[in-house]
Amino acid sequence: MDNIIYAVIISVIRGGFYSLMAVGLSLVFGVMNIANFAHGEFYMLGAYFAYCGSVVFRLNPFLSILFAGAAVFVIGVGVEKAVFVPLRVRSKKNWLMNTFLLTLGISIIMQNLVRVVVGNRNYGLRRGYFQGNMQIFGMGISNDRIICFLISMAAIVGLMLFLNRTRLGRAIRAVSQDATGAQLVGINLGFIYSFTFGLSCALAAIAGACLLFKDPATPIVGLAPLYKSWFVLILVGMGNVGASIIGGIIVGFLETLAVDWLGSGWMDVMSLGIIMLMLIIKPNGLFGKKGVKSAVE
Amino acid sequence: MSETHNILDVENINVSYGHLQVVWDVSFSVGKSKVVALLGLNGAGKTTILKTIAGLIRPQSGSVGFLGQDITKLPTHMLAERGLSFISEERNLFISMTVEENLTLGAYSVKRKDKIHENLRAVYDLFPRLKERSKQLAGTMSGGERQMLAIARGLMSNPRMIMLDEPSMGLSPQNVRVVFETIKMLREQGVTTLIVEQNVNTTLEFADRAYVIDQGRVVMEGTSSEVRADNRIRKLYLGEE
Ligand SMILES: Nc1ncnc2c1ncn2[C@@H]1O[C@H](COP(=O)(O)OP(=O)(O)OP(=O)(O)O)[C@@H](O)[C@H]1O
Ligand SMILES: [Mg+2]
Repeated sequence: MDNIIYAVIISVIRGGFYSLMAVGLSLVFGVMNIANFAHGEFYMLGAYFAYCGSVVFRLNPFLSILFAGAAVFVIGVGVEKAVFVPLRVRSKKNWLMNTFLLTLGISIIMQNLVRVVVGNRNYGLRRGYFQGNMQIFGMGISNDRIICFLISMAAIVGLMLFLNRTRLGRAIRAVSQDATGAQLVGINLGFIYSFTFGLSCALAAIAGACLLFKDPATPIVGLAPLYKSWFVLILVGMGNVGASIIGGIIVGFLETLAVDWLGSGWMDVMSLGIIMLMLIIKPNGLFGKKGVKSAVE
Repeated sequence: MSETHNILDVENINVSYGHLQVVWDVSFSVGKSKVVALLGLNGAGKTTILKTIAGLIRPQSGSVGFLGQDITKLPTHMLAERGLSFISEERNLFISMTVEENLTLGAYSVKRKDKIHENLRAVYDLFPRLKERSKQLAGTMSGGERQMLAIARGLMSNPRMIMLDEPSMGLSPQNVRVVFETIKMLREQGVTTLIVEQNVNTTLEFADRAYVIDQGRVVMEGTSSEVRADNRIRKLYLGEE
């Protein structure tokens, strides 16, 4: 019994971080129709910035994570303006394929740039963000794990409230549902695209910053989270932000299951096996509506 | 762009899709509080003309003036604020949002909250059906209801001029009436209308002027009665011998 409760808690915590990665990926896919394979690099930058905030500027953990999100938001907006604005002007056909190739390129460039600037050394927090443990159902779980999980949940809830309750959030959803209609009512597409991309990058950065307590920043630390978040999207359907949250948790459970019952070597085998099955049986995902530009709900 | 008493001045626009030119040297103007119709067979280029005015397509040459200012190169999203509303043939509704969210977004360019509420009440009065369905998702509405929603959304921004592309398509005769009565009422409030319609008889009944477009060119223009009296028009569009 205890084992099961522990497994559930671990799964939810693990899945929560996947959700946070996946909602950002889903957001840019739903709004901009970009298949972003550089999403992990914004996670990576988030980790470095959080290290910088924590260790160099000696900010408290919350501020470090916020600092990482804000800094990467700005970088994301810059990347959008430098790369996707010109691409939108030139590329009409094969847009999706072009975004895939382009983001793959961005990913490689960013990894190597970071390697050149800070080297291959790991930058991690020697003692995490928060010391100590918390007792949940009689089980000790580190404060780091719990508080960082709560921060990522807060980021997701904040995002949902923003999308559903604010004028700008509604405008983003409007663009995802009908870009021409959005322009006609007075929404500036260029602004929405830059903002949305920045927001998505900031969410990835917050995930990277949160997980710095256990995964030190390295140039390739974003790779695994990238694969995981794509796995979530394929599982639940592309561009569906709400479903990505659930999807992250499902993936968390699947992995815990694989690790507990089959051994840790099976974790990725299980994930990839399910991806392949999904692509064959239900290519639109568990919750996928037909057509990839389904609603940001 | 000199005649400021016109709301809209289209001057010698040429528009192409790739290498295929579909609008040739089209000019026309729309006076204040007038209802002007563009008539023509399928594929004549009517929608292309409206999209060009709305900035969704750029003309190769020629200009579009609105309220005395050149808007040829103005981005589409600036038009709502300036008072031009385009209710497109495709409707372009936000299908996963409720009727009310669609309407609220229609007033995106309106900054004052009380004004938005006032407009919402006004369009609900106009289309009580939308009020009954205010919480329904736009994507689950019937064709006719969507049509009403598109028109209502277009009115939420306090437009000085509305452009309607085949508003009566898919509507019952009764609702077609509602649409035209709305146009008439808007005219009394000083709102100008540019309308594209297949429903030629009813359109000419309500319009002040009409331009007939054939293969991308203006082939005839005049008051509604002049156009209606023209033999070619009667044959081509009214199916009379
Ligand atoms: N995106 C496009 N690419 C290429 N050709 C197009 C495009 N849109 C329209 N056309 C062509 O341009 C011409 C004019 O089309 P347009 O839609 O303006 O006609 P219309 O008068 O509105 O017709 P309808 O009454 O059927 O709506 C047609 O021959 C059409 O095939
Ligand atoms: Mg048309």
